Order: sequence, then C-alpha cells, then structure tokens
Amino acid sequence: MKKLQLFTLLFSLTLAASAQNNFLLYSFKGNVSVVENNVESKAKVGKPLASTATVKVAAGGAVTLICNEAAMFTFTKAGTYALNKFGDSCRVSSSSVSANYVKYVWASMTKPTGSAGSNRKAYMNTVGAVSRSINNIWIDPRLDTLNYPGGGPEFPLSWKSYSDAKDFDFSLYSSDNISTAIHSTSVNKLKIPIGDIANKMKQGNSYFWTASVKGEENDELKIINYVTKETYAAVLDAIKKQGAAFEAPAEQAYRIGFMLEDAHYLSEAYTYYTKAATLDTANALYRSTLMSFKKDYEIK
Amino acid sequence: MKKPLHKHIGYQARKMHGHFTKYLYERDTIFATIWVFLFIIILGSIPLNLGSLNPIKLGLKDLDMNDMSYSKLGKAQNTPIDTSNIVVINIGQADREGIAAIINKTASFKPKVMGLDVIFNGPRDAAKDSLLREAIQRNKNLVVAVKIETDSSDKLIPTENFFLNNSSYYGYVNFPNDDKETVRYYFPFKKDDHDKQIVLPSFSSSLVKLYDTTAYNKIKKKADSKVIVNYTRNVTERKKQYLVIEGEDLLMDNIDSSAINGRIALLAYVNLSPNDIEDKKFTPMNEKFAGKSHPDMNGIFVHANIISMVLEKNYVKKLPSWVNWLISVLVCWLFMSFFIRYYLESHIWFHLVAKIIQVASAILFVWLGIHLFDRYRLKVDMKMSLLVIIMAVDVIYFYEAWAVWMHKKFNYKTVFKPHHH
Repeated sequence: MKKLQLFTLLFSLTLAASAQNNFLLYSFKGNVSVVENNVESKAKVGKPLASTATVKVAAGGAVTLICNEAAMFTFTKAGTYALNKFGDSCRVSSSSVSANYVKYVWASMTKPTGSAGSNRKAYMNTVGAVSRSINNIWIDPRLDTLNYPGGGPEFPLSWKSYSDAKDFDFSLYSSDNISTAIHSTSVNKLKIPIGDIANKMKQGNSYFWTASVKGEENDELKIINYVTKETYAAVLDAIKKQGAAFEAPAEQAYRIGFMLEDAHYLSEAYTYYTKAATLDTANALYRSTLMSFKKDYEIK
Repeated sequence: MKKPLHKHIGYQARKMHGHFTKYLYERDTIFATIWVFLFIIILGSIPLNLGSLNPIKLGLKDLDMNDMSYSKLGKAQNTPIDTSNIVVINIGQADREGIAAIINKTASFKPKVMGLDVIFNGPRDAAKDSLLREAIQRNKNLVVAVKIETDSSDKLIPTENFFLNNSSYYGYVNFPNDDKETVRYYFPFKKDDHDKQIVLPSFSSSLVKLYDTTAYNKIKKKADSKVIVNYTRNVTERKKQYLVIEGEDLLMDNIDSSAINGRIALLAYVNLSPNDIEDKKFTPMNEKFAGKSHPDMNGIFVHANIISMVLEKNYVKKLPSWVNWLISVLVCWLFMSFFIRYYLESHIWFHLVAKIIQVASAILFVWLGIHLFDRYRLKVDMKMSLLVIIMAVDVIYFYEAWAVWMHKKFNYKTVFKPHHH
C-alpha cells in the first residue's frame, strides 16, 4: 500500500514537473519577433506560443504575453527572452473569495482611515494639468509648477522614460520665448539638479523647462517660477502664522512642509519634512512622509 | 479534575443553543416577530418618497453587496482569457470608411459571426456611407447594433442605425437601466406590449443565434424576462480576459489568423483609460462598489460577458422573493427569541449583546450572500434578513408595552411584566 502511495506521489510530481506553460501573444509594439523550432517569424497578436519559444524584442519595442490563459506580463526592454525561463510569471494567486472576505473585513475594522493631513498623496493627487501629444518622456504632474527661491537643499527636476534611451536633452526656456532655449544640456540621468540651472535664471522671472530623449522633441513644458527671497519669506511667514497655539517644533515643521509642498515650494518642503523627521525620530508619519517625498521626487 | 475540551465546547454549544431556543415557541416571540413584519409593511406602504431626503438611501440606491466580491475579494480574477469564442476588435476613432475597412479585413479572417457595436444615426459623407453600406451588405454574418424604442403608435421598433436594411441581422444594445446605474440585468428579447408577434432580439442574442444554436435555444426560452448578467471577465490595464485587437494591427496584418477564425468578432470602441468614459457602463466589476465612481467597462465587454454567460450556460439563479421572505421570517423568529431572552433575563447586557449580534449578523449575512453567489451562482437577497434583525431590537420595546396593555385589558398571557425596567 505504501509503495502504491509512493508511486502515485512520484507520478504526480513527474506530471507536475513536465507540465508545460502555454503562452498567448496578447499585444506588441515596435519590432518583436518569435523564434519557434529555430524558425524566426514576425510577432502576431493572438498567436499561441509554446514554452520552448523565444521572443525577441528590439529597442523601443514591447510585448505582452498571457501565460496559461491567466497571468499577464510584459517585456519592455530590448532583448531575447526564452519563455521556459518565465514559469514564475505564470503563477496566479488562488485564495478563495471567503478567505479574502475575512481578511477584508478584518482589515477594514482594524485599519484607521487616516486623514488628509497624514496622507499627502490622497490630498494632493488632483494636482496636474492636461497633457498633449505622446512622447517617450513622462514628467510627473506634481512638477507642473515649481516655485524656487534659490538656495536650499539640492532638488532635482526629474522625469521617466518609456524607452531604453541613455541620453536625454534638457532645455530651459524664458517665459516669453518658447521657440529658442536659453539653456540646453545633455544628461545621462533621468534628472537634473535645479542648482545646475539656477545661474541661468534671474530671480523674479518665470521659465519653462522640458526633457526629451536625445534627438527627440517634447512639447510638454513645465514651469519654474524663480521667486525672490522676499516673496518666499512672505509665503513662509503666512504659513507659520497659521499654526495652532501649542505646536511642537516637529509638528510645526511637518505642517510647514506639507503646506509648502501644496504651494509648490518643493525644495523648501523637503527641508521642513527633513526637519520634522529629525526633530521627532520616533514619529512614523514624519519618517514615512519624508521617504515617500524623496521617492516621488527622485531625491537620493 | 479538568473538563476535557470537547465536553467544554459541547457545554458552551448547548448553552448558546439554549439562549436561542428558550423562548422560541413562546407566544410573545411569535407575536413580536409578526409585529416586526407589520412595521415593515406599514412603513413601506407610506405613499411618500422620504428617500429623496435620506442621504443614506440615495447613496446606497445602487448598492449590491455582491459587488464587493469583484472589487475587494478577487472574484473573477482568475477567469481564463477567452481564447475560443470571442475576440474584440477596437475600431478606435475610425470614421465610416475606416470601419468599413475594418469589417472587410476582419471578414477576411473568416470569423463565424461579427458584431458591430456602433450606432449610426443618419447620413454623413456620401462616399464613406456607401463604403460602409457595401461592407455591411456584403458580410451576411454581421450583426449591427440598434436601439429599441416605441414609435408614435406605441409599437416597438429598432432605431438609430442608418444602415439597417431588411437583410441585416440586428440586435438592440440598450440596457434596462439609466446611464448612472450599474448594468446588472438585460433582456435577451423584448416583446411588444400590444403585438406579441413583434419580438426584437438583443445584440448578444442575435450573435449567439448565428454562433451556437444550442445556447441560443436555451436563451430563447427566457424571452422578455430580465436576466442577471454574470460578469466573469474584464479587460483593464492589469487584467486581460478577452483578446483585444487594435484596428491598426488588424489592417497591418499583425494578427494571427487563429485569433479571429471561427470566433465571434466584436467590433467596437475600446479605451482602457479611466479618464475616457465614452460608451462605458457602471458594472459590478467597478473598483468602487459604493459611492461616487467612474463608469468602468466599455459597453462591448458587457455584451461580451453576456455572450460568454450564454455560451458557457453559467447563468445566475435568483432566489424567488417568497424564499427571501421566508428566510427573513425564520431569522427574525430565531433572533427575536434570543433578544427576548436577554431582555428578560440579562437586561443589563441586552443593548450591548444586541449591538454585537447586529454587527456580527451583518458580517455573516454579507458573507453568506457572497459565498452563495460565488460558489453556486445563487443570488440571495439578505437585506430583508438584516433589516428584521435591526428592527427586532426596537420592536421589543413596543411589543412589551403592547403585551402589558393587552394583559391588563384582555388578560393576554405574556412573559413581559409591567414596568419591566
């Protein structure tokens, strides 16, 4: 009997090990080809692929596959991908609805809902403007308008790239002439410190900036208001006056940081978030807000 | 010596059983239960729409707790992509000439049937109109979309398709709800109120008729009845449970012929951006199951879900109203017995226990409804059961006063004593 059980177990394990994943080429863009049985052919939407197939993605291309009719994953970088190495991507979670219900009810009953002041993302996620055209660069709408009084900590103007490009063009325009850049430079990172361009601007003036993949154009312009020290001092003074009567220094720093971020003084908001986290190191909210802020604005 | 665990559990179970059943067969329990339902009937019969001033009622008007199973509990997350029956072709912003080209190109891959989910409500550019008319006439397996309306003589007619002709297959795409409501039901067929010979098919029914006779014969039996849509698949940025082919890919021959050949090809506008709500409907699959939200599903995927349901014969069964009422009567009776026991014997704990029981039973009944819906595709309305538990607590106070008054007046036998508390 035990031998029979052992045989059944081994047989089942063998079957499981030999089970092949099946893939479906769901969509693609750019140059994508498929190699099956040593024959390379152009990728086609809706084509079923065996796990022995290989997918080749050229620069700028992307391909989305569905494994075993359920798990979806995408290759966005150029390269050659043997599908038999992506068994892990075929796994799908299979917890029951009832189990999820218990977890959901428990989480809902035990997790505090929080408030706007403790969740800067929930509070500020409507910031932004419409965008036009499609290009390979995405600039976070939070950077749509930046008020910069000069000085302060290093703050980067950052962007994301949908392509594999290594070099990017950064351009700065004066507000009255967006056809000719007053400053252009090439960078090999997805950001440029604002301090690097501060000497190209004059306080009290507004400027536009954009970033693009080297050799491409990006019509999406973002604004930098290089405000005077006096303007910033007035804003800061107004914010400081709004505090409660008995406000601890860390609380005040956090509130000022929050309000400065809302007023688009991002570099200065960073200073105050850092100050709050330093003054009250035990406060998880101050720490997590600072970490989240640094992550959002690519501050390293 | 310590009592063994199983005996301890058995003792507690018997004790709890006693709490529920001690007063179960008392006349007071039965009459108090009747009073709960009398209150529900009386309050429900007030001919005033007080709901318009009730923000909770307004907010929850479209709420179905089963929707939570899609948005929060992962129902239908693992439904496999449909690789055998349905393929959706996105016509994007194509004009009539472009749509004609997409129809002809799709037809070249030999789908078994095509459905064009677009309303054409009048002539536009003559040359482009001609191309589209020619494409519709040429492809005899194409079902076009219409809307059903009643004409001036109250007769049911198909409208809003300029290209509809006598030889076209057509189906209506309207749903029996307004644009702000969740699409939960549809009519597979609609009969004229006066002339029963006039029966118009829905878009999905017309497509199924050409694709699978067996499935069609089954849905045909549900003519003119409201059918619950069983949503099993969706297409979002994160989940792809129908194959969607872009019109450009189709025209550029970037398609594997097996993706369309022999299937139902649905030609429609698809846009997965949440900011684009053109032809989008609210469905139970919406990420927010309550409160304000954006419509979440392109109309064509609603039709696709209906077709999948009909082809796979996985209809949702709905418990008849009388069964829901019967369940609520039994629940009310049982809980009334429990509440009366606490009211009379442990009054100091009554409110605390009642509130805990109300919350616990809300959690339990919602789970039961979701479980039956998920596992057995059975839709049970537990709202009434919840309502009677909530009302039972208040009705006890009224019943006590009534029973004591009846006792004084008519020597009515009751377990309640005057000035009990």
